[in-house]
Amino acid sequence: MKKIRVLIAKPGLDGHDRGALVVAQALRDYGMEVIYTGLRQTPQQIVAAAIQEDVDAIGLSCLSGAHNELFPEIVSLLEARQAGDIIVVGGGVIPWEDIPFLESKGIQKVFTPGTPTKDTAIYIEKAVFERDGIQKTEKEPPKKIDHIGIAVSSLEESLPFYVNQLHLKLEAIEEVASEGVKVAFIKIGESRIELLEPMSEDSPIASFIQKRGEGIHHIALADDRIDARLRELSANGVRLINETPVKGAGGANIAFLHPKSAGGVLYELCEKDTKEEA
Amino acid sequence: MATDQKDFQKQFEEWKALTEKLIEKFPEKKEEFKTSSGINIDRLGHPEILDQNYMDKLGLPGQYPYTRGIQPTMYRGRTWTMRQYAGFGSAEETNRRFRYLLDQGQTGLSVAFDLPTQIGYDSDDMMAKGEVGKVGVAIDSLDDMEALLRDIPLDKVSTSMTINAPASVLLAMYIVVAEKQGVSQKEISGTIQNDILKEYIARGTYIFPPKPSMRLITDIFAYCAENVPRWNTISISGYHIREAGSTAAQELAFTIANGIAYVDAAIATGLKVDDFAPRLAFFFNGHNEFLEEVAKFRAARRIWSKIMKERYGAKKPKSLQLRFHTQVAGSTLTAQQPDNNIIRVTLQALAAVFGGTQSLHTNAKDEALALPTEDSARIALRTQQIIANESGVTDTVDPLGGSYYIEKLTDQLETYVFDYIQKIDDMGGAVSAVEQGYMQREIHQAAYETQKKIESGEEVVVGMNKYKLDDEPKPELHRIDPELQRKQIEKLEKLRSTRDQNRVSARLEELRNGAKGDHNLMPLIIDCVRDYCTVGEICGVLRDEFGEYTGI
Repeated sequence: MKKIRVLIAKPGLDGHDRGALVVAQALRDYGMEVIYTGLRQTPQQIVAAAIQEDVDAIGLSCLSGAHNELFPEIVSLLEARQAGDIIVVGGGVIPWEDIPFLESKGIQKVFTPGTPTKDTAIYIEKAVFERDGIQKTEKEPPKKIDHIGIAVSSLEESLPFYVNQLHLKLEAIEEVASEGVKVAFIKIGESRIELLEPMSEDSPIASFIQKRGEGIHHIALADDRIDARLRELSANGVRLINETPVKGAGGANIAFLHPKSAGGVLYELCEKDTKEEA
Repeated sequence: MATDQKDFQKQFEEWKALTEKLIEKFPEKKEEFKTSSGINIDRLGHPEILDQNYMDKLGLPGQYPYTRGIQPTMYRGRTWTMRQYAGFGSAEETNRRFRYLLDQGQTGLSVAFDLPTQIGYDSDDMMAKGEVGKVGVAIDSLDDMEALLRDIPLDKVSTSMTINAPASVLLAMYIVVAEKQGVSQKEISGTIQNDILKEYIARGTYIFPPKPSMRLITDIFAYCAENVPRWNTISISGYHIREAGSTAAQELAFTIANGIAYVDAAIATGLKVDDFAPRLAFFFNGHNEFLEEVAKFRAARRIWSKIMKERYGAKKPKSLQLRFHTQVAGSTLTAQQPDNNIIRVTLQALAAVFGGTQSLHTNAKDEALALPTEDSARIALRTQQIIANESGVTDTVDPLGGSYYIEKLTDQLETYVFDYIQKIDDMGGAVSAVEQGYMQREIHQAAYETQKKIESGEEVVVGMNKYKLDDEPKPELHRIDPELQRKQIEKLEKLRSTRDQNRVSARLEELRNGAKGDHNLMPLIIDCVRDYCTVGEICGVLRDEFGEYTGI
């Protein structure tokens, strides 16, 4: 597929280009083609460059307070030159109270200070795909098997097999009250085996064991774009147990897919917030 | 005791005697400094025996290599100058904020100009659209400057002006306003930033190419050495280099490399180092990493004094002393939970004080969102006042000096800086390194690394990537009058229709001829502003003659 092309521009006289340069680099690293205008561009120059370079989107950066004058002018010049389909987003020092005004003038999104650059990249990608009617195929599959959940009646009875026979390392045992289970985390390579012992009769693990006996309960896939993935799966008709992520052990965002849509396997998507771990 | 140690002991006794004499003339704030427990606070903590290593690396405050400070009594004698950068909207509005800040106990002024002024455009220029009065005050002509400084006694207040490419024009206006107040140019004091190299590197308000820009700078050095002796003719700035994303070592190295370039340029025009070096000032960033910042400031003094002595053979103590202003790091402020910024600012300011700064600007908590409100500007000033009056850290000189860690870090930063300077010398000096984009690339790389660390959570920013709030309250923000540009343009039109147009044209023609030759342009620019030529007209003539820099 053709790479998304983005023009990063500094309208007006503002010389602060740290943010513009960092965003430009981050978009490149994400796989886009990025053209940076340099400082002190008039709206006319920016629009001319955008048309000449045939970009999909323009990212405007302004820290001087001139955004209310300059950003809308760029949008209306684009429209005047029949290039209104170019997506315009902006960032910089933009007071929150100006954002509705800018959005009403056709700036699709304003990124405030502290926005992760990846969010900006994902937003632009999504906006371009939506505009072009492209069903976004997730380029990135889930990263790895995060863990395999195994239902056991008793940790005490099951653990010796893993620890003494397979010589795996028991990392921790944790009670997850919301799920009514006690979990033993066993490290294996980049993944884990999680032994799940029901803490009460009404725990989902208890009913699983009752119905099907001990054994593999679910497979968890590590995914760093869980929201997008859920939206995509749902749009493609995959049945979900959790439509939006819920909090799992260790503060991770998790969501289960329905086994009916996954050949009888219960899959969990799991997005661990590396920030929380740090 | 070895002989050299006896010498050091003697040197120390002499320093004490000199300091006592100085105190007779300029008394310290108290006769006696004591802690709450009644313990006497020494003016200077020091090892019992002063050896060669101590004297080489630290020395005594007020003496070469100035690691411990440029005055023997530091803040026991006089607190740093509290200098809050302010300016927005019209000259009249800014004048009101200045007088408010002076009433609140601020001791110096610091003017922020809007971008059209900084880039040499009048408010009615097409390029000025949307920018008039936004990041600072709009100054088109002497008329605006008079309004800006109305009822401010220019013989008493020192004024710092953040102006670079058109620094001569704004300094000229200041001189003429003072003259109209009856204050001669010999009496006024202040600073112009006038540091064009860092504009190419990091800040972006350049106008002309490097060569004529360097000429404008050395013209100012020469003019002021003779006529405006109390004016700091340049503030060699690491602040913006750091804001653009550099490390502490890069901030120091690139700033000092730029300093070397200015000294070289001035010497090349025939100036003597001891004639202009005492008026060179520096401007650093007060950033997050507390101990490294303290070490940075101390290392800066030692490095500069060595360079001035060994590389340039400067003799006057004032030529060897690195004096600096500090502003705390705007880029560390978060838009999220802005009250937290007060704490960041406090720590950063404290590092600058431990580092021996001569003046300080503390940021307002809302600067990641907009220009400060009156309330937030006051809290920022109070932060300094609390450090100065309540914390007790001002009662002894260089309180962290002698800490194993601080001294080692100071030494290591010095090594880093001299390595960078060697590299830049090999590239043909700072001007050439800038033209090759070397510093720009180094800074951008460091900035991107930082961003990645923040996004991965390796670098914690409280309230932004950790300890977040779901529903942030929306604070009150300062707004600029949207009608300002229109009003400023009206004012400018009125000026153009009432001034003596023939004189204006004649003055601009004289300037043009001066620019073609190699006369000092300062007197010509003073004549221009006196007859109400505008910033845009003066810079327009110079643009014609010098050309414009368009980046690399």
